[in-house]
Amino acid sequence: MPNGKLSKVASVVGVGHSDFVADHARVRGGEKPHDSYGYAAVAFRAALADAGIDRSEIDGLIVGPTTAYERVGEILGLNVRWGGQADAMLSVIEACMAIESGLAEVVALVYGNDQRSAAVNYGGPDAQGAAAFLSYVYHAPWGFTSQGALYAMMWRRFMAVRGMTEADLGEVAVAQRLAASRNPNALMRKRITIEEYLASHYVCEPLHLFDYCLINDGGVALIIAEASRARKMSARAVPIHGVARCDVNEGATSLEPRLIDFYLPAQQKAAEQVFAMAGIGPRDVSALQVYDSFSVHIPLALEGYGYCGIGESGHFMREHGISLAKGLPVNTSGGHLSESYMQGWAHQVEAVRQVRGECGERQVPDCRFVHYSSDVAGKAVSIMYGR
Amino acid sequence: MGISQRVITLYDQPMWDSISRERMELQQCASCRRFRYPPGPICPHCLAMEHEWQPVSGRGTILSWVVFHRQYFEDFPPPYNAVAVQLAEGPIVVSNLIGDEPKGSWIGAAVEFVYREQSGRKQHAVRLAPGGGDPPAR
Repeated sequence: MPNGKLSKVASVVGVGHSDFVADHARVRGGEKPHDSYGYAAVAFRAALADAGIDRSEIDGLIVGPTTAYERVGEILGLNVRWGGQADAMLSVIEACMAIESGLAEVVALVYGNDQRSAAVNYGGPDAQGAAAFLSYVYHAPWGFTSQGALYAMMWRRFMAVRGMTEADLGEVAVAQRLAASRNPNALMRKRITIEEYLASHYVCEPLHLFDYCLINDGGVALIIAEASRARKMSARAVPIHGVARCDVNEGATSLEPRLIDFYLPAQQKAAEQVFAMAGIGPRDVSALQVYDSFSVHIPLALEGYGYCGIGESGHFMREHGISLAKGLPVNTSGGHLSESYMQGWAHQVEAVRQVRGECGERQVPDCRFVHYSSDVAGKAVSIMYGR
Repeated sequence: MGISQRVITLYDQPMWDSISRERMELQQCASCRRFRYPPGPICPHCLAMEHEWQPVSGRGTILSWVVFHRQYFEDFPPPYNAVAVQLAEGPIVVSNLIGDEPKGSWIGAAVEFVYREQSGRKQHAVRLAPGGGDPPAR
């Protein structure tokens, strides 16, 4: 059961990313500023500068799923005593594990993705992710493809079972645009209304255009160090107070975790662990960052992590609020919907910057704990950043 | 863009063979008697490997549905629907509803398999079951 072994063993000492806005403009103009490795390199340099440390202090390296481990180590000139490849959330947990076990003390987490300029498809005959998730391709004979369609199918049933409306879900896109309007790094900064959300076209009905993440190029990097060493390195080190993971795999291809359980069992177990490890509860959380490939993830997380009761997410989003203007601030950068689609990596950066108090116009006042949650394909992962 | 393709592993082949005969079969565990989908090497419930291929009734209930407004495959011009159907035998399959559509919510509607040609292969679709009505969402 929950234990606190990984609580505060490591802290984030540096964060960095590529220039999402400038690169996106260049890509849309037909240029290719970098490939995935180039974006990763830009982000690594920025994170190293942010940490104020020398490269020689790094003794661990984790790269994202879109680049080869050895090649990233090669181009960055990093010989390390521990390394691996993982997605955003698991790379943070693995860094904590490596540090706790003594296999590494200062770990660089590096991600780069040229998905827009490389025209990566997330649906159709060459849908990305097929090697990891059979559900992404298994139902193709019936034209059922794309991760958006999986969430559209889930949202349709969730909406019916919970008694929600399309306008309820629109609260997510509207709130995240408000956040993006205050974030100079965000790609989509024009505020929208519920009426504009409802008037936007369907991609896979009942999901609208504004429910979908952006597709853009970029890179993100973090430097995570053993906690006592982190304090010596930086006055702005942000400790990781808790981590958790619970995966639902059974019935995944036949969509049972999505259509029968709405991921709840996985999220509830992850919630129990992360809050116990951090020694806090949902009421202590200042801001919530949710992996939002689609807006649907937000009501799922609100119910799954206990920010509201089961069946109350529509009311919570509408009445309590999930924006910088009202209630619990969710995806304070604009998230994947409006800032940048960095597959969860940029959410870690935003969490760290909110705890540091560096977010300017979009800063959450008196920000003490920021909870990051992802539930990609029913794999619930949580990280609690705090002061 | 290309046309839609099936995923056919070693374990899927007998199912697709049965679909081409217009009577879909799934593996039924010889130990706990559960049906499994997609086909696989072992029963995920009781870990027994022994099984029999058994025809399914083709009757089920719509759990959810979507309508595609964007084209992803050459052989699926939008708009078109996809439905998640829980078969009477337990497994959830994705299919397409053809013919009459329920008024209002499709969730809970009783459906049954029909077989049709799609892009050079035989596969199932579903249609509203006669007298199946459209009961309210769970």
